[in-house]
Amino acid sequence: MTTVSNLLAFFGLVVTLLIVWRQSWPARRRLFVAQSLLLAALASAVGLFAHRRALLLVAAVVVVVKAWVIPRVLSRIGAGAPVRPIAPGRSSGMSVLVAGALVVVAYVIMLPVTAAAELPTEGAIPLAFAIALIGLFLCVTGRDALGHILGFLVFENGIFGLAILATYGLPGIVEAGVFLDVLVIVLIMEAVVVEVRREHDSIEVDRLRELRG
Amino acid sequence: MTLIVLLAVPLVGALVLWRASGSRATVLHGLTSAFTLAAALGVAVQVNRGGPLAAVDGLLRADALSAWMIALIGVVAALAATEAPAYLRPDAPGRFYPLFHLFVFTMLLAVSTDDVGLMWVAIEGTTLASVFLVNFERTRSSLEASYKYLLICSVGIAVAFLGTVLVYFAGIQQFGDEAHALRWTTVVRLAPGLAPRVIELAFVFLVVGYGTKAGLAPMHTWLPDAHSEAPAPVSALMSGVLLSVGVYAVLRFKPVVDLAAGPEFARRILLALGLVSIAVAAAFLWTSTNYKRTLAYSSVEHIGLVCLGLGFGGVWGTAGALLHIANHALAKSVLFVLSGRIRKAYGSTEISAVSGLMGPMPFTGGGFLAAMLALLGLPPFGLFVSEVMIFAAGFTQGFPFIAAVGLILFVIAFAGLLRTTHAILYGAPSSRHPVVEAGGWPRAIPLAGALALLLLTGLAWPPGLAATLDRVAAIVAR
Repeated sequence: MTTVSNLLAFFGLVVTLLIVWRQSWPARRRLFVAQSLLLAALASAVGLFAHRRALLLVAAVVVVVKAWVIPRVLSRIGAGAPVRPIAPGRSSGMSVLVAGALVVVAYVIMLPVTAAAELPTEGAIPLAFAIALIGLFLCVTGRDALGHILGFLVFENGIFGLAILATYGLPGIVEAGVFLDVLVIVLIMEAVVVEVRREHDSIEVDRLRELRG
Repeated sequence: MTLIVLLAVPLVGALVLWRASGSRATVLHGLTSAFTLAAALGVAVQVNRGGPLAAVDGLLRADALSAWMIALIGVVAALAATEAPAYLRPDAPGRFYPLFHLFVFTMLLAVSTDDVGLMWVAIEGTTLASVFLVNFERTRSSLEASYKYLLICSVGIAVAFLGTVLVYFAGIQQFGDEAHALRWTTVVRLAPGLAPRVIELAFVFLVVGYGTKAGLAPMHTWLPDAHSEAPAPVSALMSGVLLSVGVYAVLRFKPVVDLAAGPEFARRILLALGLVSIAVAAAFLWTSTNYKRTLAYSSVEHIGLVCLGLGFGGVWGTAGALLHIANHALAKSVLFVLSGRIRKAYGSTEISAVSGLMGPMPFTGGGFLAAMLALLGLPPFGLFVSEVMIFAAGFTQGFPFIAAVGLILFVIAFAGLLRTTHAILYGAPSSRHPVVEAGGWPRAIPLAGALALLLLTGLAWPPGLAATLDRVAAIVAR
């Protein structure tokens, strides 16, 4: 179990770093799908080893919501947007470097948790947290609405992975609430982005700067 | 049973209103608001007479702290509801009322559940229910405000989820598969045995996450935008009670971290965030040129004061903070309602555009002045009492330095707000001429009622208020 969970979390981190590195939007969306599938695999692996049937159901919902419905909404949001950001912004090398540093930070922050844990999955907990931190980094540095949403979703995936690794699944009502939440947030984001695009003819966030002071 | 009624009324109201329109919708809206208020006050009275209420196998639970918040949400929602019909647009029928009641429902659910996981879901629900209300006017700036609001609060609330997960993790690591390990009552019972470092880490995440919703600096950046762009009744709800619900969530976890890791940890965090919030607000209160944003920054200041009170602790600090939450909610919701009327009359939210308002709008201006004096913390209004309690707690609990810094920042903020108030009410008359003031006593009654309540908390505490505050403080300070 330790090997499987460590391996899956590690692949998840690699995919996250690829999301940081790649600039083309369709590629990043596909990487997000891959990450969600890894999350589902993690949930089912933990479910099988720890005999938690509920986690298999969670894995199925992850596949449907995060690997199918949300990417479809994302491609709707992204339709018409240029494949790459117009402005040649930061080099992605720098971003990957920051993301690498965040992995170290994640290990340091999660020290108390791994010290208190007596689980076969504890080794993967900092990796999941690193995914969350990198997602937050993507969200904060995102240059358009798509970057923000993708960062948020990666962040959410990391936290969800951490929840599975540390607790073997939360009570059903909370899990259901989390899924509903992410789905509704993405749908509302779509509605908002559609309006932003109509108003500003672009989804670059630099144009959103009416409110100051 | 009353708890279920309390939650069912706004939820059913929202569902029914989804399909209603025209005058029927207004009547239904009025009925829903009235019943919500009645149920909220009913729950509050019942809890204060007979102790905590529970329903649905303990999933819903209202103790004195919940009852305090429920009553507050009921009163502010009713106040905002009386103003809502003036904001309905003919071309967007039906959307405003249902979302309004859904928003109220999510806030009531957040404060009346015992399950911290469900509380998290409900608080996230408050964002989702209110994001379209912020963008109700569908202008460029309101769109930008709702985008920022949704993004920043979603990220914040996800951080709070991480904190909740860690609390759950600490519980099951220590005590195995404790049934209901996410119930607040269970968490508090187990708290002394939980791993202190994990709970400390969890509390940091929880404070950052729920502090985003509460509008604590430096996570407050969504707040002035959303509060200034939302229609006035929604601003009143957001500033009055939504921020307080964020504080409430932090309050639920404070005893947990106090019991698990000692009182110093939470205290330091709350005092630091409180001071930063007051400082940031003081700076922007001097520079803002938009009166709705000024009111929003004043909310940041007051939430900072509440945090200071909670950080100082003791009976006075905690009770003062809780009383301050209520006082601020009443004063600020009156001011937001009035600012909406001013905006309607002048068609602008710039201070320079409405200056010298007392001349053409004496009726609204008088109310604005009274509520502003209350908000500034002048006697005989309740904010004076709660602010004295908070700072007195600072000096008596052994934090004279922090209390003094807080007091200085508070005075700077006070002066900034006073300057703005003076410009709005008595400044050089602006070139714009307001639409004739829609006077009439009926529209003044709810506002006068809120100000009367502030006089009560300021001058003569009704019998039972002291005992209630003691009971609430006993839940938070252990």
